[in-house]
Amino acid sequence: MRALSIMRTPYSGFVLFSILLLLLPFTVANDYYFNVLIIIGINSIIVIGLDLLVGYTGQISLGHAAFYGLGAYITGILSARWAWPPIAGLLVALVIVGILAFLIGIPTLKLHGHYLAMATLGLGIIVFILFQELNFLTGGPSGLVGIAPMSLFGFTFDSDLSYYYLVCVFLLATLLLSINVVRSRVGRALRAIHGSEIAASVLGVNVSRFKVGIFVLSTLYAVTAGWLYAHYIAFLSPSSFGFMFSIKLITMVVIGSLGSLWGAIFGAALLTSLPEFLVVFEHYETSVFGLILILVMIFMPRGLLRGLEDLVRKLISMLRKDLKERSLTS
Amino acid sequence: MWGPDTGPPRHEYNNMTFEQQILQYLITGVTVGSIYALIGMGFNIIYNATEIINFAQGEFVMLGGLLTVSGMQLLHLPVPFAAILAIIGVSIVGIALDRAAIRPLKDASPITLIIITIGASIFIRGVASLIWGKEPYLIPAFSGEEPIPFFGAVIQPQSLWVMGVALIVVLSLRQFFGRTLTGKAMLATAVQPRAAKLVGIDASYMVLLSFALSGAVGAAAGIVIGPISMVQYDMGVMLGLKGFCAAIIGGIGHPWGVVFGGITLGIVESLGAGLISSGYKDAIAFVILLLMLFFRPQGVLGKSKGDRV
Amino acid sequence: MNPVLKTEGLTKHFGGVKALDQLDLTVRQGAIQSIIGPNGAGKTTLFNVISNVIPPTVGEVFFNGENITRMQTHTIAAMGLTRTFQNLRLFSEMTVLENVMVGMHLRSKGGFFTSALKLPWVFREEQRIRGESREWLRFVGLHDHTDQIAGSLPFGNQKSLELARALASKPKLLMLDEPAAGLNMRETQDMVQLISQIRDLDITVLLVEHDMDLVMEVSDHVVVLDQGRKIAEGDPETVRKDEVVLKAYLGEE
Ligand SMILES: Nc1ncnc2c1ncn2[C@@H]1O[C@H](COP(=O)(O)OP(=O)(O)OP(=O)(O)O)[C@@H](O)[C@H]1O
Ligand SMILES: [Mg+2]
Repeated sequence: MRALSIMRTPYSGFVLFSILLLLLPFTVANDYYFNVLIIIGINSIIVIGLDLLVGYTGQISLGHAAFYGLGAYITGILSARWAWPPIAGLLVALVIVGILAFLIGIPTLKLHGHYLAMATLGLGIIVFILFQELNFLTGGPSGLVGIAPMSLFGFTFDSDLSYYYLVCVFLLATLLLSINVVRSRVGRALRAIHGSEIAASVLGVNVSRFKVGIFVLSTLYAVTAGWLYAHYIAFLSPSSFGFMFSIKLITMVVIGSLGSLWGAIFGAALLTSLPEFLVVFEHYETSVFGLILILVMIFMPRGLLRGLEDLVRKLISMLRKDLKERSLTS
Repeated sequence: MWGPDTGPPRHEYNNMTFEQQILQYLITGVTVGSIYALIGMGFNIIYNATEIINFAQGEFVMLGGLLTVSGMQLLHLPVPFAAILAIIGVSIVGIALDRAAIRPLKDASPITLIIITIGASIFIRGVASLIWGKEPYLIPAFSGEEPIPFFGAVIQPQSLWVMGVALIVVLSLRQFFGRTLTGKAMLATAVQPRAAKLVGIDASYMVLLSFALSGAVGAAAGIVIGPISMVQYDMGVMLGLKGFCAAIIGGIGHPWGVVFGGITLGIVESLGAGLISSGYKDAIAFVILLLMLFFRPQGVLGKSKGDRV
Repeated sequence: MNPVLKTEGLTKHFGGVKALDQLDLTVRQGAIQSIIGPNGAGKTTLFNVISNVIPPTVGEVFFNGENITRMQTHTIAAMGLTRTFQNLRLFSEMTVLENVMVGMHLRSKGGFFTSALKLPWVFREEQRIRGESREWLRFVGLHDHTDQIAGSLPFGNQKSLELARALASKPKLLMLDEPAAGLNMRETQDMVQLISQIRDLDITVLLVEHDMDLVMEVSDHVVVLDQGRKIAEGDPETVRKDEVVLKAYLGEE
């Protein structure tokens, strides 16, 4: 319980989390687990951004894999075809996708509920089809190869350990920025929009501006994650960025508790590592994901993390009562 | 990506004049469009009763096809019986979906409902892949495969089946909602839930019924395209989305709009695939979907309705 | 004196229903003006159309002489016009304090970039927002509930909270839609107190209310609506005795 409430005050939680990330490699024996940790970190970056959009602002996106893919493909193509340095690729990708997300976001975020869901889903599929069909750029279904390893300011991140720390730096940066945003005038406006768009606008909140703003920010996180992924895996194929991955991202947000940044990381970690550790998952993966989504929504609509928290709290208070009663009777 | 293709083999187009080719694309478009219309109707039925967009609609279609295959292969039933069994089976799945996932969540937010029905669709698909595996199956054509010549183009007999079934379903739904007491009660529940309750209509039963009916219509779509394209555990994703697209083009909830929407989409897709590039065929539907949502979310035939404040 | 608010020929149709019908209305600076009328008279619709939550069918709205008919709701709010809702619209998942802090949105500037980096001035601004919001909570008597979740408050407190939230934006004109509906007698008395105090804050009030005693007690001027039309207006005493008004109310019984 203590630990959970410490996580509540964001900066002490942030420091604890940083130390945890720093020490984690010393407990990891084998390279394979590094691999998993790195992917967890990358996914966490996307999911934090998606949580700002879905959990805090209440705007669903079923197409976020597309922005992740755009980040990966733009930086991958610049590196593989024109040998651009990674940092330049990242900047270009951020600018292109930022502008794109802004232009698309304006009409898209006027939609509500199911319509928004379908529109973002459609966007995701269109982008996916482009990844597949723009052969001369993306390599099509057979994939894009020849992406250079990550190097920044003369340092090449060629070991798993160094890449792990690189991902951690970006994860912590996104986390810190997001904590600040959430606990600010902007964060309140976003949650107000979630609560009631009309009430928010009557108080002067420019609803569409904030919705588009957070949408763009969340796509920029996804682009950064895509960049880290492209230079780590060095091979891109469209299937990593399809509809199913968008759904997985949403599942991570939902599991981790809508509207909790720690929950977002928890959800990403859980759903990324589960298939790696449970062999049975291989055949049942899709159905298990589906089942998790349904069950969490029905029984723990506040998400798994908060659901568990509630449960622990209930248990503790029950125990306390029990102890009290015993001490009274004895 | 997956999509039905009903035309003759590619090389046969080379022997046709341009006009004949266009005609051929139109025939294909109307056939595929009828399927989209059927699937879109499934969306409409549930939407009209609940204002929920059921993301598992495509899975109804897939189950319809695969259950028919099983009925024929395991029980050695002739197509019509296997089909009826499949339709009943999918209706039951629809009922189960309502009971298990929708009803426990009275008054849930749209986001919750979206996630739930997506969860259901993934779950159903996952289970289907366990039962039927990932390979495609073929349902034999209902009445032979001898193409019927038509002004220099050809029509597959199965295409006639598809259009015919779509027509019959549309007409019977019209009868059902316009003439029968239950049908009228279902519409009333959607339009005036409180008033409906006052006159003694059991709203939750109507919702249940809409899921069952929607399942049946979806299954019918899956069965009639079985012979044209393979049926496979993941066919529902694309078909479901395109059915939704058809409903949006026509105006969601609008009874005739969806037929118009489906056939329009089918024709545009077929012409686009034939004349421009087949790789982008699926993208066409989604570009249309986005344009509709951005500029005319109430659909071509629908009227906009004011938000209640 | 110049009117704060003026409507000209304001009309709103919902299908066949004329919720507002050629309504001309003026609200004087510094007054507490009330709008009364039977259920369905179009009072809430009037508020919705003025704040452009729904657009009018025809007609114009002027605020401090400026035509705001086609402005977006948040722009209108920025000019100093805000409102409360008949069916509460609190941000029910946020705390009581946070609700009021959203009310101060217009009077602060932190944006995405500056907030993400938590620049020093953003930090100071945040403290100012927090401090002043507490004062508004004290003003409506909710200072003991700051960290409670808004949705968990009792109904009466929720009404006060919505008022505090609207006040925090320091509007020039505040439209209150049935602030006393659902309150018990003591709470209603407190609300009367509050509304009278608002006038001293240099805020003009446009009030919709069914509680006649409340209306008579606080209003300078009363307008009576029926079926979207103005059927009478004047000071509370005159309106109370007006026969047309009596008829409109009795006809409804
Ligand atoms: N969004 C809407 N769509 C259709 N009709 C509406 C809508 N909003 C209001 N109406 C109708 O317009 C008329 C005026 O409604 P309004 O809510 O403005 O009345 P009111 O004076 O606020 O009543 P009350 O005292 O009950 O709050 C009513 O007949 C109502 O049914
Ligand atoms: Mg009203």
